[in-house]
Amino acid sequence: MTHSGRKPISDAERRLGELLESAPDAILELDNEGRIVLLNRMAEKLFGYTREELLGQAVEVLVPEDLGAAHQRHREKYLSHPVTRPMGSGLKLEARRKDGSRFPVEISLSPVKSSTGSHVTAIIRDITERRQMEDQLRAVQEKYIHELELRSRQAEQANTLKTEFLSNMSHELRSPLHTIIGFAELLAEETEGRLGEKQKRFLTHIQNDSRHLLDIINDLLDLSKIEAGRLELRQEAFDIVPVMEDALSSVRPRAVAKSVELRTDISVSVAVVADRLRFKQILHNLLSNAVKFTPDGGKVRVEAAPHERFAEISVSDTGIGIPQDQHRAVFDKFYQVRSATRGGGGTGLGLAITKGLVEQHGGRIWLKSEPGNGSCFTFTIPLERFDEKSVDRGR
Amino acid sequence: MRKVLIADDRAPGRELLRVVLEQSSCVVYEASDGIEALQSARELLPDLIILDLHMPVLDGFGVLEELRLDLRFATTPIIALTASAMQGDRELALSAGFTTYIAKPISLRALRGEIERFFHVK
Repeated sequence: MTHSGRKPISDAERRLGELLESAPDAILELDNEGRIVLLNRMAEKLFGYTREELLGQAVEVLVPEDLGAAHQRHREKYLSHPVTRPMGSGLKLEARRKDGSRFPVEISLSPVKSSTGSHVTAIIRDITERRQMEDQLRAVQEKYIHELELRSRQAEQANTLKTEFLSNMSHELRSPLHTIIGFAELLAEETEGRLGEKQKRFLTHIQNDSRHLLDIINDLLDLSKIEAGRLELRQEAFDIVPVMEDALSSVRPRAVAKSVELRTDISVSVAVVADRLRFKQILHNLLSNAVKFTPDGGKVRVEAAPHERFAEISVSDTGIGIPQDQHRAVFDKFYQVRSATRGGGGTGLGLAITKGLVEQHGGRIWLKSEPGNGSCFTFTIPLERFDEKSVDRGR
Repeated sequence: MRKVLIADDRAPGRELLRVVLEQSSCVVYEASDGIEALQSARELLPDLIILDLHMPVLDGFGVLEELRLDLRFATTPIIALTASAMQGDRELALSAGFTTYIAKPISLRALRGEIERFFHVK
């Protein structure tokens, strides 16, 4: 690719020459000893040399001094296997200006046959701006990642603090409640003197409400433990029937008072791996809700059957039912069915806790219900015969 | 008459236990912190000791540790009493050397059951 020679330059060749001359990237041609034999205008501008200064110079004059030796070795290796390729792929390449300053570049190389041997064309692009943008982008990215990590750490800390606070609070609340409940029980025993009917009734109010207060404290503590992932399960294998009987007997007085029929339907013995107390709590919550929302004379039914790796346990009622659009919300904390207020209080935490407890056991809970057609809550708990993993997880 | 020492930093808590224990014909001594509990225990050599786990100066665990080092208390029934609701507290108390664990709020029936158990088994 020489401009000298006898052959006249064609129009196309001239235009190609101009194109290279005015290209937005620096273009250099090197001979087989690495000397610059050809360069365009952008090369002068980019490196700060005049054409005359560069012609005949070893290309290493454009390479940062500390990289010069390595560059020379790479150049010799390239000549032994010349192909068109980007230079130093994956590396951050830098070039050196006349004033010694360095700037980032991207270089592509291609071999050229010339009358004086193997030459190399190098197209060099100044990527200072792109590099700056990349750096900025990375800085922004890192800042956000850092901020995210900070936030999630803060959230975690806040959660831990909340649990500790609630656990301390619950301790502080429980101590006076302990004596309120204890002394009320002592009075009710009438060993310290007989009580009139009115006094007995007042005492019953104190006892019921202090028990209720205790339930609320327990619910709050449970929920905070569930949310902080700090609920510990004491897993063991057991038959669900006796536990179910226990849970049923705890709601039976209220069911009897409302003439609500309680029925169980368990055809085969079902053994699960769970925390016995928590399992009972799940059942109790569902049963007491069912009794609460079932009108006088209605029915509450408990069913259990194995299904794949789980025991599927349902509590259904003939109560007022729940509209489809609230089927998810019922498991939210503080959710309460409007007519629940009539049924007398509740923390609105029961189902949120129940769901948390079920999920902690690796199970699921869902609701089927239509207004007027009762509700059916179903949950799953791992069956015993697949217990090994679950037991290990619990320890 | 069985001698019972109760240590609880709250006076109503002590009185509640006192009434129930006296109904079961026990002689009741009170301490309102851990150091007092240790002193009284060493003086009185009670047949049963009930320690609240959370007490100022020296907590229930601290009292228990000191007592169990003393041969005179090697087999004395010592009950842990706590209002804490954290699971694992029971295990912690039992592994520390408490004979049993009662959570607040107590059921009077359960407490009477425990007292009967200790004094009949012995």
